[in-house]
Amino acid sequence: MSVHVQDLVLPVLAAVAVTVAVAIRVRAGGTEAAKGRRGRLRELAWCAALFVLSVIVMSSVSSLPGPGGLSSWWIAVPVVAAIIIICWPRVAARIVPVALIFYGLSGFVVARDFAVGGVINSYGLTPVGNPGFQADLILPQAYGLLLLGGWLVLRSADPVLVRARLRLGSIARAPLGEQLRTLALLPVVAVLAGMLAPRLWLAGGAALIVTAALVFGVLWVIRRWPARAAQLATAGLLCAGIAGLVIAAAWRGASTIDVEKCTSSAQPVPSQGSAQPVPSQGSAQPVPSPAASAQPKKPSFVPSAQPVYSKPVCVAMPPLFVGGGTAADVADVVWGQALPYGAVLVDSQHTADAAGVEGLALLALGTWLAPQTFPLVRRVLGGTPDRELTKRVELLTESRAVAVDTASADLRRLERDLHDGAQARLVALGMNLRAAERLIPTSPEAAIALVAEARKTSMMALMELRELVRGVLPPVLADRGFADAVRALALDSPLHVETDIDLPGRLPVPLETACYFAVAELLTNAAKHSGARDARIAIGHSGRFLRIEVTDFGLGGADPGKGSGLVGVERRLATFDGILAVSSPVGGPTMVVMEVPCALSSPKTSSC
Amino acid sequence: MRIVVAEDLFLLRDGLVRLLDAHGFEIAAAVEDAPGLLTALIRERPDVAIVDVRLPPTFTDDGLRAAIEARRQVPGLPVLVLSQYVEQLYARELLADRAGGVGYLLKDRVFNDDQFVDAVRTVASGGTVMDAEVVTKLLSRRAREETLARLSAREREVLELMAEGRSNSAIAQRLFVTEKAVSKHSTSIFTKLDLVPSDDDNRRVLAVLAYLNG
Repeated sequence: MSVHVQDLVLPVLAAVAVTVAVAIRVRAGGTEAAKGRRGRLRELAWCAALFVLSVIVMSSVSSLPGPGGLSSWWIAVPVVAAIIIICWPRVAARIVPVALIFYGLSGFVVARDFAVGGVINSYGLTPVGNPGFQADLILPQAYGLLLLGGWLVLRSADPVLVRARLRLGSIARAPLGEQLRTLALLPVVAVLAGMLAPRLWLAGGAALIVTAALVFGVLWVIRRWPARAAQLATAGLLCAGIAGLVIAAAWRGASTIDVEKCTSSAQPVPSQGSAQPVPSQGSAQPVPSPAASAQPKKPSFVPSAQPVYSKPVCVAMPPLFVGGGTAADVADVVWGQALPYGAVLVDSQHTADAAGVEGLALLALGTWLAPQTFPLVRRVLGGTPDRELTKRVELLTESRAVAVDTASADLRRLERDLHDGAQARLVALGMNLRAAERLIPTSPEAAIALVAEARKTSMMALMELRELVRGVLPPVLADRGFADAVRALALDSPLHVETDIDLPGRLPVPLETACYFAVAELLTNAAKHSGARDARIAIGHSGRFLRIEVTDFGLGGADPGKGSGLVGVERRLATFDGILAVSSPVGGPTMVVMEVPCALSSPKTSSC
Repeated sequence: MRIVVAEDLFLLRDGLVRLLDAHGFEIAAAVEDAPGLLTALIRERPDVAIVDVRLPPTFTDDGLRAAIEARRQVPGLPVLVLSQYVEQLYARELLADRAGGVGYLLKDRVFNDDQFVDAVRTVASGGTVMDAEVVTKLLSRRAREETLARLSAREREVLELMAEGRSNSAIAQRLFVTEKAVSKHSTSIFTKLDLVPSDDDNRRVLAVLAYLNG
């Protein structure tokens, strides 16, 4: 390790300063959101993570070559982090996962610079100019950080991240296993793109657009066809695994290959950026070529700018590229110094071995996933029951039980209410009228009093029937449908409720009834428990899903597990394959999001 | 006073017609569906229409929509809407044109024929009559209190009864105060709601509308 002491002075000083600042802040009671000892510790941990990350980012980026004086400006990164920690400590939990993802992605850039141009920049634990570490640690770190960031985003309760997550569509609330299988497409694409097109993947300029298009394309596929995305990811894993084995095998068998052909066609690739290449530590014999000697020599540490590793690489090509020029031609265009393969930068015998191990692991993972994602494979393999199908059957059995229970409980409640309410009143009414009948000849005064009482009883009976009908099918829902029924609910609520409803057609009747009662329950909850004065209901329809958001600006801290009625709502929605998510940080606001798959009937052909 | 009655159930329509007849109203037409109601209202131009919310052909809120449509074509046409349920949403839609001459009552209010006939007369003369249930619900809303915070508790009580369509003497009786006290309260309400002095009935309607529409 050749880390200079002076490199550490500033970060350490800043770290001490900010830690003190955070300690003071936490001692003073923390923010309103961070209630209790654990909450405060968690906030402190996020803040510390943010600061450490900012220092790492600073030390990585400041080592980049650039105009003089640039590097000292990067001290601004931890300073900004410190300002965020002091002023908005809650935001740290939001920034860290996202920053981890971006820093992880930047690892690919660093690795690419090395792979293509032999440039090694400082990244994470790999300091600049330390040949002992070489680039071996860059990609594992990049993938590690990327996966950690992704994991944190998936598990975060931060409202902004929750909302961003929900943009992924149905997969956002699928079981964790399914989420991971589907989202695996992103790292798999990263592995393949980094291997096959390092000049287009995460490079600067126009290539950045290619990268962005690729990432958003993958996200779109995940959102639109989650099942297909999982299949693609599995197929990608299998391909990548085979490629890794081929790379390892090709390296071993390289001596028997016609080296001359490969190397002669593998012309030097101009290194990117102004950085100077660092000597590679590969153990494969460098093959000097005429082109190398034509280049200006850097006496101290550049033996050759020639892409010395094109030999094994070009052997690895045929399985990856079918058709379109010789393998060596492609290798020439694609790679320079080293081949990024997943978490390994292949530039030597031992890294090639590592690539083989990684290939085996990816292959094993792909093989394990294949029966889960491809129904065909599952059927061919036979034996084991279809897990998806089993799960679906379990879910349907459960939701059917709930539906049956709910229906019979509703009927029983209706019967009891009628029996104790309207029916009893009608009996009393009949008795009163009979008594009045008898009293008319003898004491008309008393008879009149009884008749007046009978009238009152009939009004009470009507009132009770009205309440009963409202509980079965509210009149506005029957008259106007879901949108106006929710507006009527908003008007009737003791809270000040803002509504934002955008529904082009009418929902199927059973669904709109279920959704209406769900919204009614949530509003009642908000009015009873949240302490809020204001609430908001947003309802929209996105082609295949009805989406309902009920937000109250109250105390927050609602726990879906603790009999808050949310469980009941969720269970009833499950009958319609609907899902419910709650975000309720202490201090509020509480946001409940429900999504139910459904098609709208157009207003004209409404069959409701 | 000429009245158009719209009610799809024969028993109730017959009962209403008989009740109104007994109180000396003239029934210009008694119809059973929404299209019939609209044509009768445009043709007869009655002094007041009594309309059930739920009517054929769709048996949803056809009556209400026909009444609103008729008031669009004949501005200020007095309409008293009857229903098994009162909904704030519908109350707001009825009051939206701010023209007065609107009533919205539960059907069982017909049981008390004196009060019902009073309500019919109030609506016919351009007043506003809201069911006590709507008024109570409005009162329970905290947001509402802010806009009417300037009124004292007693003044709010008076305004509430005004919204139900009661006269000053009826309010006095209900609150056990003199009629003079009631008119003093109502003057104070008008001042606090920034209603310029004009004829008392008009200001009454405007005060009620301000109260109901927020």
